Amino acid sequence: MSAQTRPLAVVACRVLQSMLEQLLPPGLTDQVVFLDYGLHRVPGKMTLAVQEALDAIPQASLVVLGYGLCGNGLHGVRAGQHTLLVPRTHDCIALLLGSQQAYMSQFEAVPGTIYLSKGWLESGSHPLKEYQEYAAKYGPQEAEWLLDQQYRNYQRLALVASSQAELEHYRPQALEVARFCERWGYRYEEILGSDDYVRRLIQLAGACARGDSAGDGSPDFLVIPPGGQIDQAQFMR
Amino acid sequence: MSELYQKLATAILEGSSDKVPGLVQKALDQGLTPKDILDHGMVVGMNEVGARFKRGEMFVPEVLMSAEAMQAGLKVLRPHLASSGAKLIGKIVIGTVKGDLHDIGKNLVGMMCEGAGFEVIDLGFNVDPEKFVQAIKEHRPDIVGLSALLTTTMRAMGHTIKAIEEAGLRDQVKIMVGGAPVDAEFAQRIGADGYGSNAPAGAELAKRFVGAA
Repeated sequence: MSAQTRPLAVVACRVLQSMLEQLLPPGLTDQVVFLDYGLHRVPGKMTLAVQEALDAIPQASLVVLGYGLCGNGLHGVRAGQHTLLVPRTHDCIALLLGSQQAYMSQFEAVPGTIYLSKGWLESGSHPLKEYQEYAAKYGPQEAEWLLDQQYRNYQRLALVASSQAELEHYRPQALEVARFCERWGYRYEEILGSDDYVRRLIQLAGACARGDSAGDGSPDFLVIPPGGQIDQAQFMR
Repeated sequence: MSELYQKLATAILEGSSDKVPGLVQKALDQGLTPKDILDHGMVVGMNEVGARFKRGEMFVPEVLMSAEAMQAGLKVLRPHLASSGAKLIGKIVIGTVKGDLHDIGKNLVGMMCEGAGFEVIDLGFNVDPEKFVQAIKEHRPDIVGLSALLTTTMRAMGHTIKAIEEAGLRDQVKIMVGGAPVDAEFAQRIGADGYGSNAPAGAELAKRFVGAA
């Protein structure tokens, strides 16, 4: 251990919890906080929630943010006393697929894709869950209209998992959502993603915390030094 | 009178599609002008919807219901706006940019602009820059409105403005941009003429562009 060793903390979205927990070496992090999946829908609130979580970490740490830019949810977040390590991508889909390149090629092929994953199915939301919530609140007819307004333009529902076993495990749930989405003519696909991006994030975090790396060599990650601030423009490649 | 405006604004805010047409009719029966009913009642309600949505106090379903209530009110008001001699104040081409499938915000802007007296030509979503160029040539609008929801697609706004420039049409139109990830600084950076923070603000900006605000 070098003298530069810093405490390591994680602030991440709940949809990435299982992936991160599988990959985080036991005992490496002093503090792990998972925040609600829906924050990106109100970017101003997400900025505040992430800031609050960062400010609550008492000692100067290397903080891994398990987020992308998320609709500007990270825009304006201040590092304060910490150093922030952030995947340089728009949202969690690149983290689920394994790389920014994989995300962009999927995006260009079918921009209108709703992605499902272990995290999204278990801790997040999807059209069927939203329908059930709306129907309970507003009645089925109104719920159908609301869902139509939000989802009629998409073309594809894609289940992403980082292993074949995980795809198979979540297939029945995903197919249930897919059947619901048939009303809009979505096609259902399964994509074998990868945990490479998150694995690299955690490796880099370990190296940075040990002082073995400044972490700034890769275009796939952003390092925000103490006193710095996250800006939307930093995510544009 | 002002109480009726207040009731109308509240009914819009609460998304009461069933109440709004009756309130609009009542206001007309009392001799209020269609323009005043719109500006002092309905638009006030939509402004509040926009502000609450931004603060996270209202969510997409509630916004959609308010929009529906607004639409129901406009349906009653429209024939009166036309017959009261209110002329079309300008023409606007709107669309959600290439790669982006989200059209709720764009539709809201279209509705607010139509309410304000614009002829609205809606190109839909996932619109190629070339399609915007073609629409400018064909319809000769005063304004082009570009919408995007995603940070992934907001750069397509810049590409669209560039395509309009390259076609030699930039000086013929005002360009306004809007959508969740967009701000005034971004609008300026990509060479837009203005930015609307929500749908009523977009319509207000459009009115300023044609000197009608």
